[in-house]
Amino acid sequence: MTTSPVWRLLRRNISPWQLAGYALANLIGLAIVLTAIQFYTDVDNATSGNDDNRLHDYLVVSRSIGLLNRNTAFSNREIENLEQQPWVEAVGRFEASRFRASISVDFQGHSLSTETFFESLPAQFFDRLPRDWNFNPDKGEVPIILSRDYLALYNFGFASSRGLPKLRDNEVSLVPLQITIAGRGHTAHLRGYIAGFSSRISTIAVPAEFMTWANDNYGSETATQGPSRLVVEVSDPGNPDVRKYLSDNGLEIAGDKLDNSETGFFLRLVTGVVIGVGIVISLLALFILTLSIFLLIHKNREKLRDLMLLGYSAGSVARYYYRLTLAVNLIVMLLSIIIVLAVRPQWTTAISSLDMTPGSITAMLLTAAAITAAVTTLNIATIHHLTTRCRA
Amino acid sequence: MSHEIKLVDVLPSVFAEQADRLPHVRDSRVWLNTVSFVTPGRYLVVAESGTGKSSLISFIYGNRHDYQGTILLDGEDISHFSPQKWCEVRRTRLALLPQEMRLFPELTVYENIDIKNRLTGYKTEGQINDMLQLLGIADKRDTPAALLSIGQQQRVAMIRALCQPFEFLLLDEPVSHLDDRNNETVASLVDEEAQRQGAAIITTSVGNHLAINNAEILKL
Repeated sequence: MTTSPVWRLLRRNISPWQLAGYALANLIGLAIVLTAIQFYTDVDNATSGNDDNRLHDYLVVSRSIGLLNRNTAFSNREIENLEQQPWVEAVGRFEASRFRASISVDFQGHSLSTETFFESLPAQFFDRLPRDWNFNPDKGEVPIILSRDYLALYNFGFASSRGLPKLRDNEVSLVPLQITIAGRGHTAHLRGYIAGFSSRISTIAVPAEFMTWANDNYGSETATQGPSRLVVEVSDPGNPDVRKYLSDNGLEIAGDKLDNSETGFFLRLVTGVVIGVGIVISLLALFILTLSIFLLIHKNREKLRDLMLLGYSAGSVARYYYRLTLAVNLIVMLLSIIIVLAVRPQWTTAISSLDMTPGSITAMLLTAAAITAAVTTLNIATIHHLTTRCRA
Repeated sequence: MSHEIKLVDVLPSVFAEQADRLPHVRDSRVWLNTVSFVTPGRYLVVAESGTGKSSLISFIYGNRHDYQGTILLDGEDISHFSPQKWCEVRRTRLALLPQEMRLFPELTVYENIDIKNRLTGYKTEGQINDMLQLLGIADKRDTPAALLSIGQQQRVAMIRALCQPFEFLLLDEPVSHLDDRNNETVASLVDEEAQRQGAAIITTSVGNHLAINNAEILKL
């Protein structure tokens, strides 16, 4: 490009200071936008754990228990009403056991036995489903998913006080459990094992097949009918409408999910503001460049005219300026990506030290490419417009 | 096949209001007349200063449009040409040596010629060097145009105008700053090139005419 006499003519009057000013301003704007997007992606990914769908969240909803309100079951009408709320993506019903059940375990000479309950819910609501998540009465083996909180209770409460070893996820699944269920005058002994832990749902969960089989064969008719807990997939848990609906209908949420979600809501809000500031800076930069292009073409107008008088088309002359803006914009894009990757460890080390996983950089890279493409297109349109006006 | 530039009742807009009172318009063989320039003719438009000689060349070359009447290039009204069409016409059909030369002062003599030739690919570097040699400016090949005398600039602009195929060669006062010997050299170079291409030459002059033979003389 530098060898062409045309470029030698056209590069005159290019102000390196204006170009550098634009590049710096656009670099700052773009770096702010990309940093905000990367920060949001990382923090959002870390706080929503391993959920596949990070924008969504799951709330476990139950009825508040009051003096006059002892009925905890949800009616079909209530569930349908909930499903119709705009922020609800899906509603799953917990099915509770209607039989007596106990679990016993022999562990390093200690024998533990406890009465228990089971719940089941549709498979789609689990964060991570074990491979053999089903039940066959002939095999008589029941996989169980426990709330991660229970493991923490055992490790830090029970095991410490009894001098028992602390257990990790995969060790627990090796411990054999004896499950006894009874009802309608029958008793059954089954083998069980812990198939996994859930941080989303706080219960002792079994496959729906087991629950249907056991309730059909051992369930009491007088136990509560209808689900008393629901799992609700919501699109925007920080939405204030969620809290209002729940309190208006006398519903409660397990854990502090909603508080976390509100934190997420504010995270989104702050990220949005920061991205807005970055975009404003980038727009100002674009304005500087547009003015600079205008001045440049104005100063080189005579040369452009003379070239067109020789038979050069407006497009073939403008091409040199297209390349220049494209090169500047690509450099700005690369530098801003480098800046984001350079500052990213500031928060990813903190995230990793909390045993959480930061997000991917794909969204940030795509945004960088999209903004650069948009800015370059605008630049090229400006140059095209101005050079065709110089026509001789 | 022969080509034609035809002027029908052409008059610069600036003369339009008082056309019948201006003696140089009344007596003109070009303004408000029908004039045909046909290949491979030789035409010398003779004019006094300020009678619109450069305007005529600019109207035909399409870089000025402030005239009334019609200019036809092979029967097509040039006022309807698109910018793309003009680019093509200026690369393949009309060659121009403007009176003010319009060289790029920051480029060398060779670059000023090459900037046209790389668009058309019409002459080899050797042919350009030969023309520089013939016109006595070979030693200025790598000198910036800003450092040339007007006469030298005129010769550079002449070579540049010849670096393309053309049907009509428009020369606006091509030898106003050349001595007789250089005038003859330029004239024979231009004449040879036009003959080779079967093209017409339209040249203007206020006093120092290009030394081509048998040109039809039109008084503007």
